[in-house]
Formats: sequence, C-alpha cells, structure tokens
Amino acid sequence: MAAITKTTGIDQAARRSHRTRANLIALPILAVIGLVWVYPFLWTISAAFKTQAGMFTSGASLLPDQLNFDNFVRAWVNAGFSGYFFNTVLYSVVSTLIELVKAALCGYVLARYEFPGRTLLYRMIVGTLFIPVASIIVPQFVLIENLGLLNTRAGVILAMSGGAGALYVLLFVGFFSSVPSDLFEAAKLDGAGFLKTFGLILPLAKPVIAVVVIFQFISSWNEFNIPLVFTLGQPDLQNLAVGMLSFQGEHATDWTGFAAGMTISFLPMLAIFLFFQNYFTRGLAGATKG
Amino acid sequence: MTTTAPAPRRERVTDRDRSPAERAPERADHSRERVRGFDRVWLVVFLAPFLLLYLGFTLWPLAATIYYSFFDWSGIGPIDNFVGADNYGSILVDPLFWLSVVNTLIFALLTTVIKLPISLLAAIVLTRKWLRGKRFFRTLFFAPLIIPVAMAGLVFTYLLNPSNGALNAILRDLGLVDQGFDVFANRWSALLVLVLVSVWQIFGQYMIYWIAALQNVPEEVYEAAAIDGAGEWKKLTRITLPMIRPVAVIIALLGIVNAMHVFGLVVTLTAGGPGTSTYVVSYFIYQNAFGSVPFAYGYASAAALLFSVIAFVLVSAQGVAVRRAQRLRKEYGV
Repeated sequence: MAAITKTTGIDQAARRSHRTRANLIALPILAVIGLVWVYPFLWTISAAFKTQAGMFTSGASLLPDQLNFDNFVRAWVNAGFSGYFFNTVLYSVVSTLIELVKAALCGYVLARYEFPGRTLLYRMIVGTLFIPVASIIVPQFVLIENLGLLNTRAGVILAMSGGAGALYVLLFVGFFSSVPSDLFEAAKLDGAGFLKTFGLILPLAKPVIAVVVIFQFISSWNEFNIPLVFTLGQPDLQNLAVGMLSFQGEHATDWTGFAAGMTISFLPMLAIFLFFQNYFTRGLAGATKG
Repeated sequence: MTTTAPAPRRERVTDRDRSPAERAPERADHSRERVRGFDRVWLVVFLAPFLLLYLGFTLWPLAATIYYSFFDWSGIGPIDNFVGADNYGSILVDPLFWLSVVNTLIFALLTTVIKLPISLLAAIVLTRKWLRGKRFFRTLFFAPLIIPVAMAGLVFTYLLNPSNGALNAILRDLGLVDQGFDVFANRWSALLVLVLVSVWQIFGQYMIYWIAALQNVPEEVYEAAAIDGAGEWKKLTRITLPMIRPVAVIIALLGIVNAMHVFGLVVTLTAGGPGTSTYVVSYFIYQNAFGSVPFAYGYASAAALLFSVIAFVLVSAQGVAVRRAQRLRKEYGV
C-alpha cells in the first residue's frame, strides 16, 4: 500500500514538472502572439490620449506623448458619440430581446409538436441560413419605407431583428428536442397546461439563451449594413459603427477624437464579455453538443 | 450540463461513421405530440412572432428581389417599366459584376482557408488542461470580435497608411524599407489586407466554435486511449479530429457563407479601391441600389439574385464533394 502511494507521488511530481515545462514553452509564445493580436486595441487606446501632433509623429509607439482627456470630451460631446452610443445600446438590447423571444417560442413548438407544415417550415429555416443579407436588403428597405418607418429607430430595430434568426431557432430546436419526454409527462400529470409546461422547461435552456443573447448582442452592436442603409436621411439615428464612419468623413483629420470614440465604444463590450465569458463558452458547448 | 442534440442538424452529416459514444445522447424526441383543442391557439401564438418577421423580412424580400429584377426601377414612383431579362443581360456582360464575384470568392476562400485551421489550432492549445491563463488568452483572441468591423477597418487604414502608419514605421525602424509603401495602392495587396484584417476580426468566433466542439468529445474516450498507450498526436488525429468532423463541416459552411457577405470591411478599408479593383458583391449591390442617383434597384436586385444562385451552387457543390469524399474514404478504408 505504502509502495503504491509512493509511486503515484513520484508520478504526480514528474507530471507536474512536465506541465510546468510545457507552460514555460507555451506561455511566452502565446504572450507574443497575444500582444500582436491586441496591438490595434492598445494603439487605439493610446491614441485616444495623444495630441493630434503627437499622433502623427508617434508611428508604432504605444506610449502617448501626454495624458489628455480632451479627445474623449470632443468625441462624446461635439461629435455626437453620446447619441451613437445610446442608439447602439437601444438597438442591441431591443433586437436581442426580439430575437430571443421569437427563436425560443418557435424552437419550442418545432421541437415538441407535430403540425401541418412543420417539416416545410423547418427546411425553409435551414435554407435561409445561406441567404446573403445583401441580396434582400433592397426589398427590406422598400418594406420599411412603406411601413413609414424609414429613418426611425423602430425601423432599424425591425430590420435588425427581422432577418437572420435561423441559427438561433435551430439551436433552440436542438435543445428542446433533447429534453427527455419524461419531463413533459410529469408536467402533464401535475396538470400543467401548454404555457405552464413551457414555463417549467424554459429555464433549462439557459445555455442556449446565453449563446443567443451574446451572439445577437455582439452582432447587433457591430451591425453596419442595416443602420447605414436605414438611416441614410437621419444621421443622428446611426449606431456607433456607422457614426464612426461619418465622423471620419466630416472630421477627416481628427484621428485622436476618433480613437477616443472607439475606446468608449469597445470598453463596455469588453467588460460584458469578461463578465460572461465562462458562461458563454460553456453555454455554446452545451448548445451545440452532439 | 444538459445534453443537447440538435437532431435534425445531424442528418445533414454522414451518419454511419460515428462512434457509439457519439451516437449515445441523440434523440430523446421520438414523441413529438399532436396538438389538441385549445392548445392549437397557443401553437399559433408561439409561431406568430417568428412567422411574421420571417415572412416580412426574409421570404417576401426574396420574392420581391426576383420581381424587381425584371424591372428598370429607381425606387421612386410605380414599378411599371418591365424590361424582362434585360437586367440579367446587362449584368452578364458587366465586367465590374464579375470582378466583384471573383473578388468575393477569392476573399471567401482565402479567409476560410486561413481562419479555420488556425482557430482550430488555437482552440486545441487553449483547451489543454495543463495550460495556465486559458481564460486570459481566450479573451485576448476573442477581443477583436467586439469592435465593429467598420471601426476595425478604419483603425487599420491608419495603422497601414504609408506616411506615418505603424506598419511602415516598424518596417523603417527595422531598415527593411526606406520609403513608406501603400498596401492599398495595388489590387492584390489590398485584397490580402482585407483577408487578413477579416481573419483577425472574426477569429475569436471560430475559436469559440471549435472550443465548443472539442469540449463535446467525452473525456472517457481520451482516458481509454491513454490506457492503450496513445500519445498526444495519436489522440488528436485518431480521436479528436474524427469526432469533431460533423461539427467541422457545419463550421466550414458557416465560415464560407459568412465570408461571402463581406461588406463593412470593404467600405471602410478600401472603399472598393484602388479604383474598383476590390469591389465585392455586397458593395456592388449597395453602390447600385443606394450609392448614386438614380438608384438602380432592378439592376441591384438582379445582381443579388444572380450571386445568390452562384453562391448556392458553390456551397451545395462543396457539400456534395465533402459527402462523396467521405464515402470514397469509407470504401477504400482510409
């Protein structure tokens, strides 16, 4: 018994030193690649503190010539970033909610119930995964125009949450299909109706919900095509991604203001991702299992 | 964690060559119920939000694209100038359209070929149990995804600009060049920049896909292999890669299709230039539909439709090729 314990002890020690060595090789390599990877971020943050003159002479340097906060003030107040920021948050939150609700409800029904046209609907959803956004944006534009929603926030939100929800529906279908039917039987025995049963099962879908929320939030936060086209006549309804473009056009030389605006816009997303990261990877693993 | 098997999705992938471990969790759903009585109302209520938006913003636009493509229509006034197949005729001989198609396909192919393997490699490294700081490095590589593509484009136009951008500053400091060079002055270098920036930007998403796929390989299989004396390389080539193959097909498909939609990056990074040499299809459509008066909605719609057909044929051809390759491998036992 003692002998066995001893061997395992040596084994473990050997393995531990092996791991340390592997880490000693891997970590520096990862650190170098990682630094190159986030260099554009660091450069942007640093540029947000630079003066115009300092920016043009600093080249690749990451050290600002001085720490001034003028750029942030200029971006936020004068260049309308506060407005873009508000629009972006609004568009992202509302379109994420809409996507989530419609995908969860539709996925639940598709997974649990047999009804006429079910297979057809399912196939059509799969088919739309492959439709390029650009190919249908003209009629979407016409539709929003006819609804009288062109150049309104509601129009942008509708267009953003009307399109590519197919992947999310499929994730929910996959999840709800895998819930053991015993659970539904049990709910039925307890006298739960359609809605009550859904209410009981939905909380189990947390991993899928997490994935849908994060994916949709990121993609609507970054959305460029739709806000660009649907706010052509009303620039103050633009989100950060599009507003940034006009900012560059109108203030062609104000790179430091631009860098400050960008820093303002990516810090919240970074915070959100850091906060939810674990949940996210685990959620995705759960959602795509199989 | 609850096991979830997207059963219908699996059907698109070959069914035969999966290990028992992989086959186990699938299909708890043999009992899909018929809806009775009042529940039918609930069914309709549940489907309504999706159906409404889907009909309005996907199906109807698809049909309308086809319809518009037969008209010479500027978006103003009634659609009454029926021109039959004229739009298609002009597009087929429009060199800019074909340049856009070629550029889009080159872009899609190159980004996919680069981003899939290196994101898989990163995922494999970043799921090693012994590695320290996994969370930190994952966040690092995921980070570019959180800045809008358009902003990434603008930052890189600055970093790459010939007079005082970072790239040229570094090259000058290293003594590699003595005059700044402009990567955006040439079609091929501009395309390459588009590809690389796009890979940089989207990398994290594919890394996360791969990590999810890797985490679904049951630990017991590795333990069994370790007992049989399999080394890391053997585990990778004999267990990991074959077991994630069904997911890999889907990831590759998504990768190609998403790359074909490239738009924002082109707008901000090259604006289709130099000249029109880095036009992609989305940009071509945008320019025709909204870029300059008079708008050519009919023409843009025809272009959109034609490209959708091309994309669909290529993507399904790829699916067929993958399936055939797998069948051949089976037959010859390789």
